[in-house]
Amino acid sequence: MDIRKCSSMTGLTCTEQNFITKAASQQAASEHGIIIVAPDTSPRGCNIEGEDESWDFGTGAGFYVNATQEPWKTNYRMYSYVTEELPRLINSNFPADPEKMSISGHSMGGHGALICALKNPGKYKSVSAFAPICNPIQCAWGQKAFSGYLGPDKSTWELYDATVLAESYSGPELDILIDQGRDDQFLSSSQLLPDNLIAACSKKKIPVVFRLQQGYDHSYYFIFSFINDHIKHHAKYLNA
Amino acid sequence: MDVFEVRGRLDVIAEELASEEEEEEATDEDVFEQGSSDVSTHTQQMKVSTDSLTPDRASAVCDAALCFQEQLNKRRSKLSQKIVEMENFASNLEEIFITVEENFGRQEQNLEQHYNEVLQTLLQRNEARAAALDEQKNSKLECLYGQLLRCGQTLDASKELIESAQELHRRPDKHGFLQAVMPVMKRVEQFAGEEVDLKLGVSLDFQVLTPDLSEVRQMMESINVLPAPSAPVMNPQIANSATDTSLHVCWSLFSDDTVEFYELYWRLISDDCTMETPQEVSQLKVKETHCTVSSLRPNAQYELWVTATNTTGISPASERAVYMTVPSPPVLKPRQCVSSLNAALIRWDSGNTDPVESYTLEFGETGTDGSGTESIVAIPSCECLLQLQPQKIYILHVRAVNIGGPSDRSEPVHISTTGTFFHLLEDTAHPSLSLSADGLTMFYLDEDLPISHMTFSDNTFNRCVAVLGDLVPVRGQYYWEVEVDEDAEFRVGVAYEDTQRNSHLGGNNTSWCMRHILTPSRHKYEFLHSGWTPDIRITVQPLRIGVFLDYSRGILSFYNAALRQHLYTFSCHFLHYVQPCFALDNPGALTLRTGMTAPAYITP
Repeated sequence: MDIRKCSSMTGLTCTEQNFITKAASQQAASEHGIIIVAPDTSPRGCNIEGEDESWDFGTGAGFYVNATQEPWKTNYRMYSYVTEELPRLINSNFPADPEKMSISGHSMGGHGALICALKNPGKYKSVSAFAPICNPIQCAWGQKAFSGYLGPDKSTWELYDATVLAESYSGPELDILIDQGRDDQFLSSSQLLPDNLIAACSKKKIPVVFRLQQGYDHSYYFIFSFINDHIKHHAKYLNA
Repeated sequence: MDVFEVRGRLDVIAEELASEEEEEEATDEDVFEQGSSDVSTHTQQMKVSTDSLTPDRASAVCDAALCFQEQLNKRRSKLSQKIVEMENFASNLEEIFITVEENFGRQEQNLEQHYNEVLQTLLQRNEARAAALDEQKNSKLECLYGQLLRCGQTLDASKELIESAQELHRRPDKHGFLQAVMPVMKRVEQFAGEEVDLKLGVSLDFQVLTPDLSEVRQMMESINVLPAPSAPVMNPQIANSATDTSLHVCWSLFSDDTVEFYELYWRLISDDCTMETPQEVSQLKVKETHCTVSSLRPNAQYELWVTATNTTGISPASERAVYMTVPSPPVLKPRQCVSSLNAALIRWDSGNTDPVESYTLEFGETGTDGSGTESIVAIPSCECLLQLQPQKIYILHVRAVNIGGPSDRSEPVHISTTGTFFHLLEDTAHPSLSLSADGLTMFYLDEDLPISHMTFSDNTFNRCVAVLGDLVPVRGQYYWEVEVDEDAEFRVGVAYEDTQRNSHLGGNNTSWCMRHILTPSRHKYEFLHSGWTPDIRITVQPLRIGVFLDYSRGILSFYNAALRQHLYTFSCHFLHYVQPCFALDNPGALTLRTGMTAPAYITP
C-alpha cells in the first residue's frame, strides 16, 4: 500500500528531531495514514569556516536554498535536498506513493515549504506553515542569509522569496494554510511579514487561509496546538 | 421467511449439532425443542449454548426467534382489533335489545289496555242487563203481591161472610135469622156474583234484553286492526361510509310491523355555546331502511333519528344516533417540509376549522406505481418526522381522520433524500427582506425603508436583516451552500430557533456565523459567536460557501466550495437543534442551494 507523505521542515536552530519529538504529529498522521518526513535544517559537520558562528546563518540555518557562493555552494544545497534527493530516498526505502506529497514547515521551515510549493507547481498536493518567514528579502534574517548564500544580486534572492514567487505564480491551484501566533516576538520584530504574502496571494488569487492565533508565540507549543488541523488539511488532498 | 422455512432450518441445525456432538463428544449440551407451527398455542423453548454454536447458526436461531416474535405480535394485534369490533357490536346489540323490549312492552301494554276496555264495557253491559232483570223481577213481584193481597182480602171477606152465614144458619132464632139473612144473602150474592180474577197479573217469563254489544264488537275488531309501527333502531355509523359532505345512514326495524315509509330527521350538533336556538332540523322521506344524506358540513357531528309510518299512524321516534362526516383533506405545506439523507419532517395545515382525531400520512417512492406505499397512522398533530432511505424521491399524501373515517388524500408533496432540503422561512424574515417565489433567494432591496412601513411580529428579526431556514430535527449531518455577490456583506451560519430576534447573528451565544465585511482596502472575514471572532485572513473571496453541520462531532464548518478550501470550523456542543440563518448587512442578494450531499472532501 502506498502511503502519502508530508515533509515537515523545521526552523532556525532546529534539527530533524525537533519536529519529530515536539510537534506530536504522530497521532494525527497515523489516523490519516500519512508518513511524516522531517529533514534537518542544514548540512552538518561540513567544517566550513564560520558555519557555527551565528544561530541564524550556517549550521541549523540552511534557508532551504541552493547556495551559489563559496564556501557554501558545495554543501548548502538544502533546496535540492528537500525537493529531489530526500523524496527519492524515501520513495525507494518506504512504501510511499511518489505522486502524493505535501509540504509543511515552521518558521524558516515554513519559508522552505512555501517556496518549494511555489517553485514546483503541481509537485505538492498542499502546503501549510507555522509562523513562516514570508518575505525573507525584506527581513533581517533573510537578508543576512541570502547575501551569504546567494551573493549581493537581489534578483537571485527573489527566486527563494515566497511573496515574490506568489506574485508571479501560475500553476495548479494551491491551498495554503498558515497559522501565526499573535504573541510571536518575531512577528512583532518584522521578521515574518505575513501581510506581504497575504497581499500578494490576494492579488494573484492564490487561496490562503491565514489564522492569527491569539495568545500563541513562536514555540513548539504553538505547533502542538494546531498540528492536527494541518495534518487534516494535507490529508484532505493526499487522500482524495 | 415463513414459519415453515424457519422450522426447517432449525431442524437442520439441530441435526448438525447432534451429529457434531457424537463426533466430537462435546461436553456442552444444546437442548433444542421445536414447537408446532401454531405460535399462539405453543411456545418455542431454545436453550442454546452460544459457545458451541458458530456465528451463522447463532444468527439463524436469532432470526427464528425474531420471526416468531413478529408472528405473535401480528396475531395479537389482530385479536385486539377483533375484541374492539366485538365490543362495539355488543353495545349495539344492547341498544337493540332495549328497544325491542320497549317495543314489545308497549305492544303488551296496548293490548292489555284494549282488552281491559273491552272487559269494562262488557261488565257495564252485564250490569245494565242485570239491573233491568232485577227491575222486571221487582215489578212482577209487586204486581203478584198486590194480587195476593187482594186475594187474601177477598178470601178474608168471603170467609167472614161464610162464617156469618154459617152463624146465621146456626141461629135458632128464626126471627132474628130472617131479619139478618137478607142483607147477608145480598152480600153473599154480591160476592158470589163478583168475578174472581184468578188470572196471574204478570207473566212468569222474564224478558231477556239483548245487550248492546256492538261497541264491544267494534273494540274487539280494532285489536286486530294494523297497529302503528314500533320505533325503529338507528344503526351505528358504518366505518368508511361517510364522505366530507354526506352520510350513509342505516336503521333497522325489530318487529313484524308493516311500514309504508320512514322519515329521517337530522340536526347539526354545534359546540358553539353562543347559539341560543338549536340548529334547525332537516328531514327526508325514505322507503328503504337506509339513505344517503348530502350537502352536509365536513368534520361535523349530526344527530339523526327516524320514525316509521303506516296507515294507522307514526311510530315513536328512534333513539338519536350521532354520525360524523369525515374531515376535509389537509393541505401539505411544501415550503415548511424539510428533508435530509435519511429523514424528513412533513408539515401541513389541518384543512378543518374544528379539530380532527388524527392524521394519516401515506408515502411511497415515486415510480413504484403505488406498491410499497407505507402509512403512518394516528399522528396527533400537523407534523410528522419520517425515517426514509437515502438517495430517493418520495411522494406523500396526508389524510385527516375522525370517527367518521378518513378524509380524501391531500394534494401530494414530493420529498427528496439526496441531501439537505429546506427553504427560507418567510415568517422569520426581517421586513426589509423579500424572498423569491421558490423560497431560496433573499433580497435586501431598500436600506432606507422607514420603520413605519415595516410590519414586525414576534418571530421576525427586527434589527439584523436576517431570516432563518429549517432542518430535520435529527442530530445528524447537514450540508448546504450559499451563493453571494462579490460586494455582498453577509452573515451565514446556524442559530437556535429561539435566537434573539433583536440581536445580530453571531453577536449572541445562540448563533454562529461567517461574516463578510467589505472595507476600502480588503475583504474582511469574521467567524462570529457571542460577538467574538478569530483573526483570519482569506485571500480568495468565497462566492459559493459550503456550510457543514455535524451534531455528533459538534462542528460547524465553512468552505469555499468552488476551491474545496476549508475556511473555518466552530467546535460547539449544540444544546438544542439549530436552524440555518442568513443575513445581509447591505443591499444585495443571497441564494441558497440545497439538496446536495456533503462533498467527499468534507466527510472523511
